[in-house]
Amino acid sequence: MIGQLKYIVKYALGRDRAGRHFTIFPDDTFLVSYPKSGNTWCRFLLANLLHPNETVGFANINELLPAPGISSKRFLKKLPRPRILKSHEPFDVRFRKVIYLVRDPRDVAVSEYHFDLKKHYIDPSVTLEQYVKRFVAGETASYGSWWEHVASWVATRQGSSSFLLVRYEDLLANSIEETGRIAKFLGIQARPESLQAAVDRSSANRMRKLEQQQSEQWSGTKNTRKEIPFVRAAKSGGWKESLSPQSVEEIESAWYPLLNLLGYELQNRALDSTATPGWVRRQPVS
Amino acid sequence: MIAHLVAGTKRLLGLHRPGRSLVILPDDVFLVSFPKSGNTWTRFLLANLVHPEQAATFANIHRLIPDPSVTTKREFDRIGRPRIIKSHECFDPRYPRVIYILRDPRDVVLSQYHYHRKLKRLADDSPLEKFVARFLAGETCPHGSWGENVTTWLTSRHNDPRFLLLRYEDMVADPRRELTRVAVFLNMTPDAQRISQAVERSAADQMRKLEKAQSDQSSLTKDSRKDLSFVRAAKSGGWSSELPDSLVEQLEAKWGHIMTFLGYELATSKALSIEPEMVSFMPDKPR
Repeated sequence: MIGQLKYIVKYALGRDRAGRHFTIFPDDTFLVSYPKSGNTWCRFLLANLLHPNETVGFANINELLPAPGISSKRFLKKLPRPRILKSHEPFDVRFRKVIYLVRDPRDVAVSEYHFDLKKHYIDPSVTLEQYVKRFVAGETASYGSWWEHVASWVATRQGSSSFLLVRYEDLLANSIEETGRIAKFLGIQARPESLQAAVDRSSANRMRKLEQQQSEQWSGTKNTRKEIPFVRAAKSGGWKESLSPQSVEEIESAWYPLLNLLGYELQNRALDSTATPGWVRRQPVS
Repeated sequence: MIAHLVAGTKRLLGLHRPGRSLVILPDDVFLVSFPKSGNTWTRFLLANLVHPEQAATFANIHRLIPDPSVTTKREFDRIGRPRIIKSHECFDPRYPRVIYILRDPRDVVLSQYHYHRKLKRLADDSPLEKFVARFLAGETCPHGSWGENVTTWLTSRHNDPRFLLLRYEDMVADPRRELTRVAVFLNMTPDAQRISQAVERSAADQMRKLEKAQSDQSSLTKDSRKDLSFVRAAKSGGWSSELPDSLVEQLEAKWGHIMTFLGYELATSKALSIEPEMVSFMPDKPR
C-alpha cells in the first residue's frame, strides 16, 4: 500500500520511469536494437556528433541521448524536439522513424553473457554453453529472442524511407561512412571533420577510460561487478574463439534464414546459404 | 495534475484498465488478431467452450475473456487461471501462448469501414477509396497496419508450439473442426458435445439477438449507431462483390506476398509474384 502510494505520487508528478508509457511525437527518431548490439556506442557517436561542445560520457549520456526505460515522463516531455531516443523494444507501431542497429547474434550471445555476469543477472557458475541455449530460446532478455526482435522490425519496415538498418559490423569497419549515413538519415549536414571527431571521441579506448571514472554515475554499470568491463572487446567475430561448435550450431540452425538475409556467414556449410525468410519483398515498397 | 491524481487514485483502487501494464502470468493464453478479423466471435466460442455453465453474452464477455483495455484491474484480479485474454496488439514477447486469428484483408477493410460508420467515426457518404488508403497506411487503428500486425506475429512465432494460427475463413467453413484445434491447444479434451454447444451458442443469429438486447452494455457497441449492426454478414469473401477492383488491386499490390503465403488467392495480376524457392516465415525450430 505504501509502495503504491509512493508510486501514485511519482505518477502524479510525472517522475515515474516512462517505459512504454509516454507521449511519442511524430518527429521522434528511435535508435533501436536488441540488447548488446552496439547501442551504447552508437549513442556516444550520435551524442558526440550532435553536441560537439559537450564532453559526452556515461555520466551524461542518459541526458544527451535519453532512454525511456530509464528517464521519467516529465524529463522526456521537456526535451527539445526533434528527440532521438534509445530503445530495446521489439516492433512498436508508434515508432515512426527508426535507426535499427543489428549485430551478429553469435557475438551478441557472448556479449550478453558477460554483461549478465557483470550485472549479477546470472550465477557465475552458468557456462556460456548453457547460456546460449537460453539465448536461443529467448529467455535471456525481456525483449524477445534475437530472431523475434530483428524479424519484427525488419519484416515490417525494411525498404521504408523512415527505417535505416545499420549493421554493427559495418559501423565498426567503416565508422565514418556509417555515422555519416545515420547523420544523413537524421537530416544532419555533417562535415567529414565532424564525423571524424565524433568517431574519435567515441573510440573504445576513450569509452573504457570514461567507464573507469564514471561507472557509478550510469544506470548501465551502477552496482555491477567492476572486474568485468562494460566496454569489452568492441570488435566483431569474437564468437569464433569463445563459442563452442555446439553453441554455434544451435544459433545457426535456429536462425540461418535471417543470418543469410543480413549477410552473416554461416559456419555450418550444410545450411543453405541462399535460404532467406519468406517475408522478404522482392520488389521495393511502392 | 488533477487528471493525474484522479488517475492515480483509480489506480490505487484497482478501477483503472491495465492496458499494456497488465501483469502477464506464465499460464496466460492470448487471443490476438488485427481488429475486425473475427476476434469477438472467437471470444464467444472460447468463452462458451471453457465456461459451459453460462452462455457468453455481450454483457459478460469482458469478464469471461477479459480485454486489458476494457476490463478493470479489480475484475482481472477475480478471474480464474489459466486466463484467456483478448488483444489486438502487434507482437509482444511477453505473451506466453497465442491464438492468432487471421482474416482476408480484403474483407477486413470492408468490415472496419462499416464498423467505423457504426461508431460514427465515418460519415455515411465517406468514400471507401479514402478509407482503403488510410487502411493501407495503418492509420485506421492504433494496432499497426494489417500487414504489420500479421507480419510481426508470423515472423516471430509461426511454427512455434506456443502459437496457434486460425483463419477466420476456415472457422466459418467448419467451426467445429477449428474449435477442436483450439481445445487441443488449450490442453482440453475435445468433447464433441461441448464443442457443438459452444458453436451453437456463438452462432451469428444468436449473437445478433444478444447484440439487440445488450448493445448498451458492451464497450464494443455502446453509444454507436443502432441502425447498423456489430454482427454483420459473418461470412467470408464479401469483398468480391463489394470492393471495387481498383481497391482490390491496391491491397494485393501491398500485401500480396503475405496473402499468398497465407493461402488467400489473389484476384489481380499486379501483385508480387512469390518465388517458390523461398523458405517459409520461420524455419522449423529445434525445440
